[in-house]
Amino acid sequence: MNQVKKINNFFFSGIWFLDPPKDVSVDGWRIDNVIQYIDVVIMIYFGIVALAMLYFIIKYHARPGHKAIYDRGDTKKHVGITLGMGLLVFLSIDVVIEGLSFRDLNEAFWNFPKGDNVVRIEVMPQQFAWNFRYAGNDNTFGTEDDLIPSQNIMHIPVNKPVVIQIASYDVIHSFYLPNFRIKIDATPGMINTMWFQATETGTFEIACAEFCGNSHYRMKGYLTVESEEDYNNWLQSLDEEGPVDELWGDEDEGIPIRWGWAWKKEAI
Amino acid sequence: MNKNHKSFWTKYIFSKDHKVIGKQFLWLGIFFLLFGGFQAMLIRWSLSNTMEPLPWWLFGNILYQNSPVGAGIIGPDAYNQLFTMHGTIMIFWAITPLLIGAFGNFCIPLQIGAPDMVFPKLNMISFWVMFLASITLLASYLLPQGTAASGWTSYPPLSTPVGGIPGQGQTLWTLSLTLAGISTLMGAINYITTIVRLRAPGMGYFKMPLTTWGLFLTSILNAVFVPIIAAGLIILLLDNVAGTQFLIAGQKATIPGGDPLLYQHVFWIFGHPEVYILILPAWGVVSDLLSVFSRKPAFGYKVTVICMSTIAALSGIVWGHHMYTTGMSPLLGKAFMFLTLIISIPSSIFFLNWLGTLWRGSLKFEVPMLFAMSVMWVFGLGGLTGLYNATITSDIYLHDTYFVVGHFHYTMAASVMFGAFAAVYFWFPKMFGRKMNKKLGKIHFWFSFIPLNLVFFNMMVMGYAGHHRRIFNPSEYEFLKPVLGLNDFMTTAAFILGIAQVIFVINFVFSLFKGQKSERNPWEAATLEWTIDTPIPHGNFTEVPTIYHGPHEYGNPLLKDKDWISQSEPFPL
Repeated sequence: MNQVKKINNFFFSGIWFLDPPKDVSVDGWRIDNVIQYIDVVIMIYFGIVALAMLYFIIKYHARPGHKAIYDRGDTKKHVGITLGMGLLVFLSIDVVIEGLSFRDLNEAFWNFPKGDNVVRIEVMPQQFAWNFRYAGNDNTFGTEDDLIPSQNIMHIPVNKPVVIQIASYDVIHSFYLPNFRIKIDATPGMINTMWFQATETGTFEIACAEFCGNSHYRMKGYLTVESEEDYNNWLQSLDEEGPVDELWGDEDEGIPIRWGWAWKKEAI
Repeated sequence: MNKNHKSFWTKYIFSKDHKVIGKQFLWLGIFFLLFGGFQAMLIRWSLSNTMEPLPWWLFGNILYQNSPVGAGIIGPDAYNQLFTMHGTIMIFWAITPLLIGAFGNFCIPLQIGAPDMVFPKLNMISFWVMFLASITLLASYLLPQGTAASGWTSYPPLSTPVGGIPGQGQTLWTLSLTLAGISTLMGAINYITTIVRLRAPGMGYFKMPLTTWGLFLTSILNAVFVPIIAAGLIILLLDNVAGTQFLIAGQKATIPGGDPLLYQHVFWIFGHPEVYILILPAWGVVSDLLSVFSRKPAFGYKVTVICMSTIAALSGIVWGHHMYTTGMSPLLGKAFMFLTLIISIPSSIFFLNWLGTLWRGSLKFEVPMLFAMSVMWVFGLGGLTGLYNATITSDIYLHDTYFVVGHFHYTMAASVMFGAFAAVYFWFPKMFGRKMNKKLGKIHFWFSFIPLNLVFFNMMVMGYAGHHRRIFNPSEYEFLKPVLGLNDFMTTAAFILGIAQVIFVINFVFSLFKGQKSERNPWEAATLEWTIDTPIPHGNFTEVPTIYHGPHEYGNPLLKDKDWISQSEPFPL
């Protein structure tokens, strides 16, 4: 996988003169790759268009003695050429990026990891903060032994797949990890699932990408990627002295006691 | 038509003449273009000088005096209101009235050889409903808590009472947009019926100028999709004023609620065609102008028409690409991606036809031509960068970033606005009998074209570097530190772009009163509107024209003394 990435980077470094944030995920290269492919084809096609326009401006500008050649462009040959070019664009751009994109979705982004090795976290954003929930020892969400870190603080172990499920408390938010190249909307009344895996330790920013009101611009969280050992110690410390899970109460009125929900089976 | 008894009121205010109504839409559109543009300047100022008082030349001693963060300072609430209203005004009150309202009204009857619209009274009502909508929208600026502030998309639940945005701005926004929709719908019905029923003898569908074709397709899209957004707006309005919960769900809605995603679907079923509603007239105008100023027929006219129609049809089934990150089903996501990418086939074909029109022509770089060719440039860039957003995987990263903002400013703002400018410079002599100043026009062009690219291209660069949208203060984030330097540069470019529009206004007003008198057909164009003397009388044609050939007979070798022939003039034997 990384070899593909390297070859591509060698071949082309991008038309956007700023770099995206450092990629610290297992699958971020896939997104960078498809972007780079589109960069290349856009350079080629737009370059041809720009050069053609420039050439036409120089060669065909109105001047004494120069006459336009009457040409409706509706002969079979002309129509055939334009249709052929349209098809060429479709085959060289669309079919390729569709192939790349579908492959990546099937292999990575929509291929949810299974088994005991997976870290599962529930996220509930609200105006304007991020709430996280870990299942605790019983591996079941929405129970008494759930672990709740302080708002806006999320920890994950490095090199381990992390699946999050997310739903919003109030308005629509979007969980955005620039360093992992991913985002997923948090909508009230529906649970969305996403997964990612970190390759480096460190602290990275979580941003809200969907406009959510007055303080949207500072709805910021911190994702700490650490070694498995540190991560377990952190969970331990939550168990002992972490914030209390605020109860919402009243199941009679249809409001769940805790905001955690029973883990939804990854459907894709 | 009682042509004799005309007071000032029936002639200029409640006129049923399509040309007067077109000019009314033109005034409305230019007013809101400047108004929305000024808001863009405030947004840019705030982005590079966050929480600093506005300078005097941005009216810092008048605006935002009661701001909670200090006199003359744009706070986060004010910033949110600014970008919400900037988007709303530019799309629905500036571009729509300019291209569809003004040039739709002015051009369609003239170009097909009709005396007027088929429903003149409906046409008049359409403008005055739009005027009412404008008053409603502007009234929201007088509210103590300000205008709507949930983005031009106004996603619920943010745009409902549970969203936490105070005041009634959202209600007025919804109401005014519903009114604007009614106005648009009336216009669309009128345009479609006029084109179907009132074409002059011999004017087959494939002899109509491409401007009329673009407006025709736009009107069809409007007639089909505006009712859908109207339904969405009405349920949003009910959620806001009547306590319903169509679009409110989740924990704050403690009784079982509605579905916020429903609105997104309804919005984008309309919202994606809206892009084409705006750009199809611009494409039509550009196709015609390229032909006029290359002095040869539009290359592959019929293929262009078919491509435009195909794109119009496809636009209705691709809305899901605005919603890849909402957690939509993979099957749907892939289907929407596939359908979206299909659009690139007709787009690239008709783009090639534009190049084909220039090929071996005799290019006259008049101001309308400059703007028409610049549309090729900005639409080329805007269209190609759409590929990043149509692709699910790259969109996961780029969605809701400045990349999207840059992309749609290229396609909607740049392409459509330059198309509108091309149209203004081109038809000004026919509308007002005078020419616009060429030198000022060229200055306006270059000071628009270059800064515009500097602003909008850098928006995409910022988005690629991870900058998400609608951020009042980007310095909050560590990962955005490398991007911040670009903000100041873009702000400078944006102000140059803004000042260039002042040149346009000066040129427009000056030429209106003092411009060089124009002959009947200054561009030697072949379409019907140029066969009539200016000012065009009520009823347009003194006798119904008969149409002999297509709209682009330039440089035909059969012609001896001139290189063009009007559509209503038979070939000399």
